[in-house]
Amino acid sequence: MEQDRNLDIILKCENVSKKFQTKHRTKEVIGNINLEVRKNEFVVLFGPGQCGKTTMLNILSGLEKTTTGKVFLNDREVVEPGPDRGVVFQSISLYPWLTVMGNVEYGPKVRGINKKVRKEKAEYYIELVGLKGFENSYPNQISGGMKQRVGIARAYCNEPDVLFMDEPFSALDAQTRYLMQEEIMRIWEKEKRTVIFVTNNIEEALYLADRIILFTNCPTQIKKEYVIDLPRPRDYTSDDFLKLREEITENMAHTL
Amino acid sequence: MIKNKTGRIFEIIFYPLVSILIFLIIWDVGVKNSELSVVMPGPWEVVSKFIQSFAVPIGKYTMVYHILYSLMRVVPAYIVGSLAGIILGILMGWYPVINRILRPLYELIRPIPPIAWIPISIVWFGIGEGSKWFLIFLAAFVPITLNAYAGATTVDETLIKCSKMLGASDGQVFKTVVLPYSVPHIFTGLQVGLSTSWATVVAAEMIRSTEGVGWIIISSMDTNNVVQSLVGIMGIGVVGFILAIVMRKIEEVLCRWNRIET
Ligand SMILES: Nc1ncnc2c1ncn2[C@@H]1O[C@H](COP(=O)(O)OP(=O)(O)OP(=O)(O)O)[C@@H](O)[C@H]1O
Ligand SMILES: [Mg+2]
Repeated sequence: MEQDRNLDIILKCENVSKKFQTKHRTKEVIGNINLEVRKNEFVVLFGPGQCGKTTMLNILSGLEKTTTGKVFLNDREVVEPGPDRGVVFQSISLYPWLTVMGNVEYGPKVRGINKKVRKEKAEYYIELVGLKGFENSYPNQISGGMKQRVGIARAYCNEPDVLFMDEPFSALDAQTRYLMQEEIMRIWEKEKRTVIFVTNNIEEALYLADRIILFTNCPTQIKKEYVIDLPRPRDYTSDDFLKLREEITENMAHTL
Repeated sequence: MIKNKTGRIFEIIFYPLVSILIFLIIWDVGVKNSELSVVMPGPWEVVSKFIQSFAVPIGKYTMVYHILYSLMRVVPAYIVGSLAGIILGILMGWYPVINRILRPLYELIRPIPPIAWIPISIVWFGIGEGSKWFLIFLAAFVPITLNAYAGATTVDETLIKCSKMLGASDGQVFKTVVLPYSVPHIFTGLQVGLSTSWATVVAAEMIRSTEGVGWIIISSMDTNNVVQSLVGIMGIGVVGFILAIVMRKIEEVLCRWNRIET
C-alpha cells in the first residue's frame, strides 16, 4: 500500500527555501518546504495574502529559482520553464494578436507539432472549455470569464504533466467565479491532470481540492495539510463543508 | 446599424468639409477687407489654380507628375528608412548590449534636422536623387527607431514567461511575442515617419531639381509667385493627408486585434 502511493508521486519538492535580495535587505519568503504531489491530484495552496504562494508556485513551475532545495518532476530536476508544465496566470495574459484558436494552439505550434494534429487538439480543448464557435474571436472581443477559459485551454493543449494555476479566477465577478469553479471541476473530471491551484478564497479551496496545503505567513511554511474527501460536486452549504471551512479559517487566523 | 453607418460617413466627410470651408471663408473675408491682399491672394484664386495645375503645367509638368516625382523620392527612401529603423529599434529594445553601444550615437544624430545634412549629403551623394533619398531616409529612420524601441521595451513580461512555459525558444519568443507586441508602436512610428519624410521632400528638392511638389515651392521664390507657392503648399498638404489616411487603413487591417470591440 505505502509502496503504491510512492510510485504515484509525480512532483516532489525537497527543503525548498527562497530569499529575495533587494537593494537594502534580503527578504526570506519561503522558509523550508517539503511537498509531494500524486499523479492526478488536485492540490490547493492556501494561505494569507502576500505569504509567498505565487513565489512557491513559480518555483514549482520553474519560473523562479530556489535559494536552497530542489524540485523534481517525474524524478527530473526542474530548473527552467518547460512544456511538460502548464501555467494559467492570474493576469490571464493571452496573446492579444492571436485568435482563440491561435492562442490555444500556440504551445503545440512552437513545439513543431504538425498543423492538422495541433488544430484537432486545439479544437478538442476549445470545445472542452465550452468555447466552440469562438475559435476566430480575438481576446478583446470576449468576456473575462471566457478569456480565462482560453487560458485554461491553452495550458491543457500542450498536454503537460502538471498544471499550475495562480488565482485564475480572482479577477472575475463572484457569479462568474462560482461558474468557473464548477467548470474547472468538470474539465478536470473529464481530463484528469495533476493540478496545483493557488487561492486565498477558502470556499474555492474547499470546493476544488483533494488536498489543501495551508501556508503560514512570510517566511512561509506548511502549517497543516487537509485531505478533503467530501464527495463531488461539493455543496457549499453542507455541514461537512461548513465545518471544514470554519476549522481552516480558524487555523489560518492563528497564523496571522 | 444603418444609422451607425450614415453617422460614420457624416463624421468622415461632413465635419472635415465644414472645417475646411470655414477656414477658406475666413481667409477670403480677411484678404478682401484688409491690406493683406497685397501679399496674399484670395483662397478661390489659389484653389482654382491648384485645380488648374492638374491640366496646365507648372514649369515642365502638371501637378500629377510633380506629385509622382516627389513620391518617387519619398517612397523608396521611406521604406528603407522604416526597415532600418524597425530593425535597429527592436534590436536596441530587446538586447540591452546593443542599446548601450548604439544609443549614444543615435542620440547624437536624433536632434539634427534633415536640412542640416544637405551640404554633406551633396558631397557624399551628388546633386542627383541620392542626396534626396538620403535626407528622406533620415527623416523616416529617426522617429521609427524610437517607436520600435519603445515597443520592444514595453513587452509584457508575463507573455514572455508564458511562451517559455509553452516551449518556445528564445528565437521563437522574439518572433511570436516581441515582434507582434511592437507592431502598434511601430505603426505610430511609421505614421510620424511618413509625415516627416513627406515634409522633408521640400528640403530635398531644394537640392537642384526641376520637378516635384517641393520644387513648385522653391521655384516660386525666384519669381516671387505667391500663388504658385500656395499651390505647392496645398499639394504637399493634400498628398500628406492622403498618405496618412492610407497608412491608417493599413494599420487597421494589420492590427485588427488592437481595436477594442467589447
Ligand atoms: N522578485 C521579487 N523580489 C523581491 N521580493 C519579492 C519578489 N517577488 C515577491 N516578493 C515578495 O515576496 C512576498 C510574497 O510574494 P508572493 O507574490 O509570492 O505572495 P502571494 O502569497 O502570492 O501574495 P498574493 O496573495 O498577493 O498573491 C511579498 O512580500 C513580495 O513583496
Ligand atoms: Mg500571488
